[in-house]
Amino acid sequence: MKKRFPKKQKVLLVNITRLGDMLQSTPTIAGIKMENPDCHITVLVEKQFESICHIIPNVDRVISIDLTFTCRALAAEGTGVIEAYEYISKLVEELKAEEFDYCLNMSSSAYTALLLNMLKIPRAGGWTADAEGYRVIESEWARLFATSVHYHNRLYNSLNLVDIFRCSADVEQHPEHLLVHVEPEALAYADSLLAEAAFSNSGPLIAVQAGASQAKRQWSPSRFVEMIKILVEEHDARVILTGAPSERAIVEPIVEQCQSNNVISVVGKTSIPQLTALLHRAEVLVTGDTGPMHIAVATGTPVISMFLASAYGFETGPYGNGNIVLQPVIGCGPCNPNKACSRPDCHDLIAPRLVAELAIERTRGIVEYVDRERANPDEVLVYNSYFDSHGFCNLKPLNVDKSDQLLRYREAYRKLWLDDLGGFEVEDAPVIEQKTTSKLTVLDDGIEGLVDVLDCAENGLRLIEDLRSAIFDKQVPAAKLREINDGLATLDREIEELGFHHSPLGALTKMFVFAKENLKGSDALNLASQMKEVYGDLARRCKKLGVYYSTIQ
Amino acid sequence: MSEKDFSLAVFTTLSERMREDWNRRVRYDYRLWVTNTLTKNAELLDEGERDFAVFKNIAQQTKRGVALEVGCGVGRMLPAAKRVFQSVLGVDISEEAIQKARTLLDSASGISVETSSGFTLENVADNSIDYVWSFASMPHMPTRVFASYLSEIQRVVVPEGLVQLQVFLGEQAPPNEFDTLRMRAYTMSALESACALAGLQVEVFEPITMPLSDCLSELGIEPVVMTCRLSESPKGSIEAIAAALLPDTPELYDAMAPCADFEAWLATHYADRLHSDGDFDRARRALEYVIQNCKTTTVDVSDIMQRLEGLSDKRESPVMSTDVFEQNMACLRDVCPAVYSQLVSFRSADSKRAIRISGSEDGPVLWSGKTCLDHPQKPIRAAEAWVKRTYSEEAVQKSSRIIVVGFGAGYHIEALLADSSKRVSCIEPDIEVLYAAFCARDLRTVIPRLESLVLYEEQALELDCNDAQLIVRPQAIIVSAEKAEDIQRHFYATRGTQSLHPRIAVLGPLQGGTLSIGEYTTHALQALGQNVRGIDMSGFNDPYMLVSSLIRDEFKQKAARQMYIETLSTFLLESLTERPIDILICMAQAPISPKVLMEFRKRGVITVLWFVEDYLRFTYWKETAQFFDYVFTIQKGVCIEEIRKAGAGRVHYLPTACNPLVHAPVELTDAEKERWGSPLSFVGAGYYNRQQTFASLSHYPLKIWGTEWPTARPFDKLVQESGRRLKPEEYNKIFNATDVNINLHSSTERDGVDPTGDFVNPRTFELASAGAFQLVDERSLLAECFIPGEEIVTFSSVEDLRQKIEYYRERPSERMAIAEKARTRALRDHTYEKRVEQMLEYIYAGSYKRLQDRQGTNPWSQMIEKASFDPELQRQCERASARGADPVLDGIVSEIVTGHGSLTEAEQKLLFLHHVKKQILRMDKGGAGVKNG
Repeated sequence: MKKRFPKKQKVLLVNITRLGDMLQSTPTIAGIKMENPDCHITVLVEKQFESICHIIPNVDRVISIDLTFTCRALAAEGTGVIEAYEYISKLVEELKAEEFDYCLNMSSSAYTALLLNMLKIPRAGGWTADAEGYRVIESEWARLFATSVHYHNRLYNSLNLVDIFRCSADVEQHPEHLLVHVEPEALAYADSLLAEAAFSNSGPLIAVQAGASQAKRQWSPSRFVEMIKILVEEHDARVILTGAPSERAIVEPIVEQCQSNNVISVVGKTSIPQLTALLHRAEVLVTGDTGPMHIAVATGTPVISMFLASAYGFETGPYGNGNIVLQPVIGCGPCNPNKACSRPDCHDLIAPRLVAELAIERTRGIVEYVDRERANPDEVLVYNSYFDSHGFCNLKPLNVDKSDQLLRYREAYRKLWLDDLGGFEVEDAPVIEQKTTSKLTVLDDGIEGLVDVLDCAENGLRLIEDLRSAIFDKQVPAAKLREINDGLATLDREIEELGFHHSPLGALTKMFVFAKENLKGSDALNLASQMKEVYGDLARRCKKLGVYYSTIQ
Repeated sequence: MSEKDFSLAVFTTLSERMREDWNRRVRYDYRLWVTNTLTKNAELLDEGERDFAVFKNIAQQTKRGVALEVGCGVGRMLPAAKRVFQSVLGVDISEEAIQKARTLLDSASGISVETSSGFTLENVADNSIDYVWSFASMPHMPTRVFASYLSEIQRVVVPEGLVQLQVFLGEQAPPNEFDTLRMRAYTMSALESACALAGLQVEVFEPITMPLSDCLSELGIEPVVMTCRLSESPKGSIEAIAAALLPDTPELYDAMAPCADFEAWLATHYADRLHSDGDFDRARRALEYVIQNCKTTTVDVSDIMQRLEGLSDKRESPVMSTDVFEQNMACLRDVCPAVYSQLVSFRSADSKRAIRISGSEDGPVLWSGKTCLDHPQKPIRAAEAWVKRTYSEEAVQKSSRIIVVGFGAGYHIEALLADSSKRVSCIEPDIEVLYAAFCARDLRTVIPRLESLVLYEEQALELDCNDAQLIVRPQAIIVSAEKAEDIQRHFYATRGTQSLHPRIAVLGPLQGGTLSIGEYTTHALQALGQNVRGIDMSGFNDPYMLVSSLIRDEFKQKAARQMYIETLSTFLLESLTERPIDILICMAQAPISPKVLMEFRKRGVITVLWFVEDYLRFTYWKETAQFFDYVFTIQKGVCIEEIRKAGAGRVHYLPTACNPLVHAPVELTDAEKERWGSPLSFVGAGYYNRQQTFASLSHYPLKIWGTEWPTARPFDKLVQESGRRLKPEEYNKIFNATDVNINLHSSTERDGVDPTGDFVNPRTFELASAGAFQLVDERSLLAECFIPGEEIVTFSSVEDLRQKIEYYRERPSERMAIAEKARTRALRDHTYEKRVEQMLEYIYAGSYKRLQDRQGTNPWSQMIEKASFDPELQRQCERASARGADPVLDGIVSEIVTGHGSLTEAEQKLLFLHHVKKQILRMDKGGAGVKNG
């Protein structure tokens, strides 16, 4: 695998606001330790998620940032602003004192980028900012991360963000699952909770996480009730409903409506380590795309996960083998996470019976196939998670026989990035000459607009050559330089517009845009060399994508 | 009184002392303690009326039933109060005073006077008085007695009654309780707390001017009228009220503490005045009084004895020494060449000399008329005592520099320099004083040690106020009152500009010419780096005008418009509550109601009116002046007096001006010249005198621009573009495209040129700034702004105008030369920036302390102080405060922009917080970055 900074000593991992993200970074943390056994890893995390860090293996130090305090101080206005500033200043000093040599920012937020710039850490994966406050993404894998989560490109991506993130930290060796410690005390507590429950059934112990971070990503309680009733009444299952205290209002009515001693709620009764232990004890977890889903995966408990509304299974699906992902098929999904939805029709596409039966089946082993009668692929796609030969997580469709158009794009892009960014040996890899003229033969099969993008890239290369000559030749008038620059600007705009117009090309062109944004320095010749590389990358990737796409049937 | 209150014995002791002291004082000479007058009782009552005028708008605020004065003395204010109230009662502890009052007031009906116990209003029924006031009385009362009176006032006043007490604001060491003639000062918060405990709520502290005001400001105390209303039942005992006034209420009697200094000072001062008036016998008696009765004073009694002996004029002849002068000048030449040159010129000028030199025990002293500029006998010892007193002041102790106004013979400067910890500068307002001092004394050890020596002769004075205290010697005030006041104004204005960052709002009118003046004022304040917010109300004008299309009856129209103004005022109040201000500048006709102005003042906001209109034509100031702390007028003399009488705090002359960004020479295209140009133009509304004048000029190639012109002949052809309202940019094109611009000030009653016209209209400055040639009618205040005949050409009549039109039409180069001079002068002296600077100078000079105190409570100040751990953050806060941003994070980061050069660490931290806040807000709304669990 191609690596930028393979050696690391003092590592800062910034992962401030999300519990799930913290768990999703565990293969990366483990991988860094596997490849650099003597390194020291510090995690910067939001205070409320500090406790999870203590049960994550390989973390040497946890530093927390209290964003609740910060925001409360800012809301107080006046001197509150100064208090918040003072707090941040102390944090910056504390972090500076650590003298990290490598940092990895999991978050794409502007503030973490600014924070890392203040720390002046020499090497970085992920997002940082430059001295003027602009976003900087040096690692191409990190650019792919930003590209893939862009709403325009999500559907064409099949790389799990855990892997993309791992690669942005140059980590090749890694466990093929998330990691978390299950503490003996917590396990004892979980056992006592289960012992207290007066289950009359003796079948599988199934955990259900009904709450989700957004209402639109939360399956309706009545469907949960129906699903649980099937589990309890038809399959002798014992059901525990998990959740944070704030989810009581969702969970309690479900328990009430189930009217069964085989359904209990542990909402608000568990700390994160205790929840971890409880999920470890469960045989399956039925859930949405939630933090507990990642915890269950980390403890080795398989999940039946529903990716509703804005959630997308390929992106943030369970990172481990043999987990079931249910992705509704709907024109508007996966939708924009920032928009509310008053009519989440995607919820109706998943039948409670299917979920219940998949849960039961999974307690018996890996699910290899799902009958189209049970799960209509026009309504819901059922996937099983697995790892490919390069150690990248993927989803295998269980209720479709043939590859559809999206699958073909996803596969082509998957090969492109593994080959081009990762340097992995990929099946059907083409040999691309820098000055090939074979674009018509390679690209005439199919991805609309790809030839146009390639033309632009090659025009760009020619203009860069003109630019370099003009820079060297002192006789060339300034107007000529301006003309070339204007030509390049027009070309760049055209490339970006082609990406918007032909959505399958969005990821390709977005990577180009990020690369242009991250050109460094102000020396004209140096910039010209960097730009040459950027146009060259685009041209090469166009050709590779065309070849991969054409070889997938 | 409750059980917790002081014992009756304490009050009895204090009141006996007060009664004894005041009886003695009144017996000796009742005029001495209360008045500037020396003989006439009529003048005494006139002064009473003058002083009663500090209590403003009484009639509007309470029923005009029964009024009570606490500490009425000989009753000099009671007749003035009787003109407002049906009946007036005065109480005083001194039987002598009450007896004298009965004689003075004779049998005036409706006025009664009574003696009181000295700490209660025992003869006044509960809930029976509409109005209680007190002047120059409460500060002299022992703190315990003052506390007792607050409680008593609460008892006697009716629920909707009004209480106005003259008090002093300031911080000082608690004086001896037995000192019954003493200017006690309390802090604003102490007075508010004490009143609250007594069941009174303070509405406002109104600064007032009193005799000896200059000395008071030197002492750091400010005379104010404290206006209170009944709030609820008293919440605290007299003891608690006294403790609120002074946390360490002084011991009842401290034998060591001096307690007759002010009395001694007043008596000796009185003696001086009598002596100056040639009344040697009374002067002697006054000095004898000091010796007999002011035994605990620190005033040097032996000195008084000597003055007694020297009451017959034994002043020595002037002692002038050329040698001494030359030696001093040689020393001065290198140190202070500017003053050196001024003194050289002065010596050679043959002017009348008014300063005399006489001898004293310590050396020569200077005299101006009958005032000795040093101590007449022991100038060295007096100077040392003065320095000791000066250095005991906290403000002086905290400063590293002292600026003294008044050089005298230099003894006190010498004494100040003896303490090397402070740098000393001196400003002498009168060159002759310095000249005489240089002739009289060898000052070679003094001159080089001064940080600076300045002769103040003109308006321009550059003061370095940084870490300095200004001390104005009383002698300087006596000899050069105006200049000393100017220096004080400059000092506090400069210091204010450097250290105060008030939040200012400029409130424009709904419509009319003042609209643009409001905008220019806002821009000028911005250009001066002030924290200003312009409030444009012109968008509310259409509904205001629509009233007449809905309602026919004019009276009802007026009422409806008044209601509309009330509504707008409420909007304004809400707006300025959201973003508080310290100074509200209202332009003439700004839509704001008295109620809201009162509310702003109650909140401590300084209210300012720039009345850029003819006070005789627009008389609404009569009702509104009282609600403004400062009124600036475009007229002088009677105008200022009248507006002052109408209750305005301070009134100053401040003419309008030009905005060089708008009123400037412009290049015009041929088409523009065709449209806007003419050999003769006039821009303005069609007032009576203008119609009458321009009708007679209709045979000239004249273009008239503006509204309200008749459509009949000859105006049908003269008035351009249907008499529409023009924009300032359009005026400016007309000015530039016209050979001769006529500027005739409006009059609704006179024909042609108003012979009594005084103020200068904005057009005069605008034309000058545009570099346009104008013929302007004569105005009495014009010559102060432009030199007639040189910088501007005036006409005195229509005939004169005609002749000058004929003359100047033919002489373009003369026109151009004059216009150029006018432009130079306008840009130098008459821009809105200059005017606003002057306006702020007056406000800072008059309200420095108030603004400084407010600044302490301003959120920006608190933020700036709290940010002291990070100088860069502090600078960011200061900048945000100066540009008028809200005291929140967004206010600080609003000008931090990415991509404009490297961000500093402080900028990055602030942006960090900004993005955190944004993201968390998004998360709270269930938006992006949603938590996964």
